[in-house]
Amino acid sequence: MTHRFARTAGWLALPCLVAAGLLAWYVTREPASPFADVQATTADPALISRGEYVARLSDCVACHSLPDGKPFAGGLEMATPLGAIHATNITPDRNTGIGGYSLADFDRAVRQGVAPGGRRLYPAMPYPSYAKLSDDDVKALYAFFMHGVQPVQQANLASDIPWPLNWRWPIAMWNGLFAATAPYADQAGQDAQWNRGAYIVQGPGHCGSCHTPRGLAFNEKALDDSGKPFLAGALLDGWYAPSLRADPNTGLGRWSEAEIAQFLKTGRNRHAVVFGSMTEAFNNSTQFMSDDDLAAIARYLKSLPGDPQRDGAPWQYQAETTAALLDSPGGHTYVTRCASCHGLDGKGQAEWMPPLAGATSALAKEDASAINITLNGSQRVVTAGLPDAYRMPAFREQLSDQEIADVLGFVRSAWGNHGGAVNPQAVGKLRGHTDPASSSPIILHMR
Amino acid sequence: MELRINQKTYQVEADADTPLLWVIRDDLGLTGTKYGCGLAQCGACSVLVDGNVVRACVTPVAGVVGREVTTIEAIEADAVGKRVVAAWVEHQVAQCGYCQSGQVMAATALLKHTPKPSDAQIEAAMVNLCRCGTYNAIHAAMHELAQGEKA
Repeated sequence: MTHRFARTAGWLALPCLVAAGLLAWYVTREPASPFADVQATTADPALISRGEYVARLSDCVACHSLPDGKPFAGGLEMATPLGAIHATNITPDRNTGIGGYSLADFDRAVRQGVAPGGRRLYPAMPYPSYAKLSDDDVKALYAFFMHGVQPVQQANLASDIPWPLNWRWPIAMWNGLFAATAPYADQAGQDAQWNRGAYIVQGPGHCGSCHTPRGLAFNEKALDDSGKPFLAGALLDGWYAPSLRADPNTGLGRWSEAEIAQFLKTGRNRHAVVFGSMTEAFNNSTQFMSDDDLAAIARYLKSLPGDPQRDGAPWQYQAETTAALLDSPGGHTYVTRCASCHGLDGKGQAEWMPPLAGATSALAKEDASAINITLNGSQRVVTAGLPDAYRMPAFREQLSDQEIADVLGFVRSAWGNHGGAVNPQAVGKLRGHTDPASSSPIILHMR
Repeated sequence: MELRINQKTYQVEADADTPLLWVIRDDLGLTGTKYGCGLAQCGACSVLVDGNVVRACVTPVAGVVGREVTTIEAIEADAVGKRVVAAWVEHQVAQCGYCQSGQVMAATALLKHTPKPSDAQIEAAMVNLCRCGTYNAIHAAMHELAQGEKA
């Protein structure tokens, strides 16, 4: 009996061992790179400058630098649900940076999220999007990081994710399920401009990292326009990143292509001014894009259909209903605190102060952006080297949770806005999470 | 661009996004309007635009072209403004006085829209900051003004 059991167990153990071996190979292997045998150490200035532009498109600097640190030296803390991780040094320093990377190593890190030796990167690095970068752009990016960036000796900081959650190998299986696997391929039936826009939005621009809702495994629910959730708006880091589809309320339905391009180039247009996390993307990335690329992005985004079921009835300006609302606690606060800039009519001032009438943050059911900007104000918007003349001040010290809830309830109901009431508890919660004195800043909470 | 300030027409050269306050003080020399915080929080820079109080530090100058701006220099040319200043004098509201031109503008705007405001309406409208703490004197002056014109 025992003998037979041992024999059965033996027969079972063999496939188990094989499976374990296969798994171990799969999760630690270095995936193929088209550059495996390529020796690319060229310092060609044209290639380096193209690489610098790709780095702008990809906004590498936003995460891989500290506000007062050396460019690309890493160190930015990102709080994930499991613990804090830190962006790494990607300067060409040989000891602490990526100076020892071959082109193939670099390619595997950028497009597949695999560091030399097979260690998996956390998908805080948007390689699920960068996977779509073209071979030529990866080559150019490599040339820029090897020859166009100053090496900085600065050791990477360890993550504080506890064992065994800090195992990296399970990420390989996440990648197998959720990451894109091939560079962007032009879609037949679409012209060159549309395809260029799609390439930037899906690939280097990684717009979906913030604007596409995520699933249970923190995976983006769609990585391209074949999926309806793609760029449909998402809650992230205490901000609601609006839809970039043709939704008239929560998306770009009321924006023209020219207005989209203007927004990305100058940080403002007649509908909105950049705020929240988009400020970093604007300051470091979109304003440096060429006019042709911005036009291509606008063209592509405007081709994404909206979803009336999700977005609701299109907003229309209404003056009549607002007068009655003004005589309320929220209305009083609006008149004294907000109307100087945003106007009693909610229409703002030209393109300097954005209108609140018809603003996405006043129409979306997610009220995080409205609360966050009221508590914490806007960040400095720097356009072509010039800081903005006007900025949303922080009201964290002046207004209580109840007062903020009241005034936002007013804003989200006046002038035809239909975002609706705001709960003071929600204000209190975000107040705590975004307290500058808090030890748990919310960066990259992915929720 | 052409600006109408205190019933006079001025030609000014400024970028469209220059704050109205800078134009008033630096270009036109009307220094009765004060710079406080620069963030629309304190109210020292309050002026009237078409009779509504606005904070000049956050008003792009291009936005007031074709509209009537009133600053503290001309407030007594307005009947309501004149009453406000008289009440301010009677109650000796000012201490250091830096915020008072803004306080007077806020009071005038309120009384123009609501001649007999309730205490709650006064409280809601008079939110300019005062480092000397003249709030009680402001409230007393406002309370009297809210009774309406004396016979």
